[in-house]
Amino acid sequence: MLEGINQIGDLEWEVPVGYVPNMRVPGRFFLSRALAETLEEGAVRQLANVATLPGIVKHSLAMPDIHWGYGFPIGGVAAFDMTEGVISPGGVGFDINCGVRLITTPLTETDLAGRKRDLIERLFAAVPTGVGAKSTLRVSNKELADIMVSGARWAVERGLGTGADLIRCEEEGAMPGADPGAVSAKARQRGLPQLGTLGAGNHFLEVQVVREIIDPEAAKVYGITEGQVCFMVHCGSRGLGHQVATDHLRLLERALGKYGILLPDRQLACAPIDSPEGRAYYGGMVCAANYAWTNRQVIMHEARKVFAQMYGIDYDEMRLIYDVAHNVAKFERHDVDGASMEVCVHRKGATRAFGPNAPGIPHEYAAVGQPVIIPGSMGTSSYLLHGTTIAMQKTWGSTCHGAGRVLSRSQAKKEVRGKELREQLAKEGILVRASHDSVLAEEAPEVYKPSHEVVRVVHEAGLSGIVARLDPLGVIKG
Amino acid sequence: MSFEELDHTADVLMRVRGTTITEVFSDAGRALFHVMYGPCEDRGIERQISLAAEDLESLLIDYLSELLFITDVENIVFCTFDVDIQGTRLSAAIRGEPFDPARHSAGALIKGVSYFGLEIVKEEEAYVVDIIFDI
Repeated sequence: MLEGINQIGDLEWEVPVGYVPNMRVPGRFFLSRALAETLEEGAVRQLANVATLPGIVKHSLAMPDIHWGYGFPIGGVAAFDMTEGVISPGGVGFDINCGVRLITTPLTETDLAGRKRDLIERLFAAVPTGVGAKSTLRVSNKELADIMVSGARWAVERGLGTGADLIRCEEEGAMPGADPGAVSAKARQRGLPQLGTLGAGNHFLEVQVVREIIDPEAAKVYGITEGQVCFMVHCGSRGLGHQVATDHLRLLERALGKYGILLPDRQLACAPIDSPEGRAYYGGMVCAANYAWTNRQVIMHEARKVFAQMYGIDYDEMRLIYDVAHNVAKFERHDVDGASMEVCVHRKGATRAFGPNAPGIPHEYAAVGQPVIIPGSMGTSSYLLHGTTIAMQKTWGSTCHGAGRVLSRSQAKKEVRGKELREQLAKEGILVRASHDSVLAEEAPEVYKPSHEVVRVVHEAGLSGIVARLDPLGVIKG
Repeated sequence: MSFEELDHTADVLMRVRGTTITEVFSDAGRALFHVMYGPCEDRGIERQISLAAEDLESLLIDYLSELLFITDVENIVFCTFDVDIQGTRLSAAIRGEPFDPARHSAGALIKGVSYFGLEIVKEEEAYVVDIIFDI
């Protein structure tokens, strides 16, 4: 472990006040000794920088997929007092409400045999993918304004989904507090042609099989069984969200002097939550988050149509288990030293993991806590977990969001050839369709921490409980 | 080339070096399009950019963010950057070609340009800046 960091539990570490100047609270993160070898000093410094922000409550936190980003570390979680605290785009990231949803089908792996390549090709044709991809949906400016407020409900009202889908989304697919007036003309211009597109980078649509049920009771509650074919959608708010983040970062950066906030990193630009600039960022961020839920809803709809057409199954037989956001700031009530307190929780590359009977989770899942979906890297297992009471107590109801990278993209390209990787994965029965092979090299399994180790840490630390393991069968990527 | 990619685990870290500030801005633009699309040709499509900011670092962020906006909404890949900087005001004529999926799909979509560690530093004979692109 890096110098200056104290171990305070089997899997828990503390970054003491003083690690960087002006820390208001200690930092805490969760990591196994095996993963500690991959910890970057830059990521710890970013965790410590977050601890300097005004109004931070208890700790600056990071999940076991912690790695070096900009502003907050990736895997970073922090809560801020609603009166004294700040809101920062650096605690959310450029891809507002990047997130994941998991959908079950009534099919088994055998049903797919022989037609898997056809399935992947049809999905690739149905979902616009990659840099420059534009939607086949025609969205007017007025409809875009509706989407930013109504979120996934906008899609469901147009027949692109069912009412049950909404119940099974974090925030029911639309956060309150949207302020379309805080979304610039540029952001809207970017958002209009991109609804229902996957984007690029690590975003994907993956067909999976439930390989193992680890918690049968929770699996029953979530409606997932061994051998079942599922699909997973991972994407965010596209150019609209990127522009909202860019615009407000600049506005907040200019306002720093006004509020007398001194920062160790300009990317942490922020404003008091209840200031004109803070409210504007929140309102714009919510619009982008709602756009992202609509985006995943539309993509899921297109994928459902492909499955229904190919295998003669009913649309309603493909059940959304849940949709989680992993780049977002939210106003939530949490227990702080025995009293209920409203705080602004930032999760940047971290997933909400609310435990049993927590407010805001679907009634049908109340007994086991909310579903948590952790995508694996390409070619590796993904996991379905459940939220826990311990997460509520220790991490503002948060857990990891993925594997976390260990190799830079430039190193990856040197060490991995996309074409060879595609052929290797095909030998393992995993079909990959991407707009270009070089995309594959950058997202190769070996550039990520092992997802099973990251998930094991959150499970053993009690931040969430493993319910099921899903293995990839085929994937489309940007 | 007057830009090079350095190791960064999550994102793309580019070191851009120029003998003048103008050159730094031109090459930062080239670096951005290199990451996103790979090789590009000037086929005569031209756009103009005019910006003002409170300091050079913010001007660089605004300039690169503007390039991201234009390429996203107009599907143009730029390769020539004729930049003029007076104080903290910028005017630029940028030229390139229409996005072609067959030739421009090998890159990585840039979501934003980060302030983290962004400082234009004067070395003995050059200006140097490290820029993190979120991808």
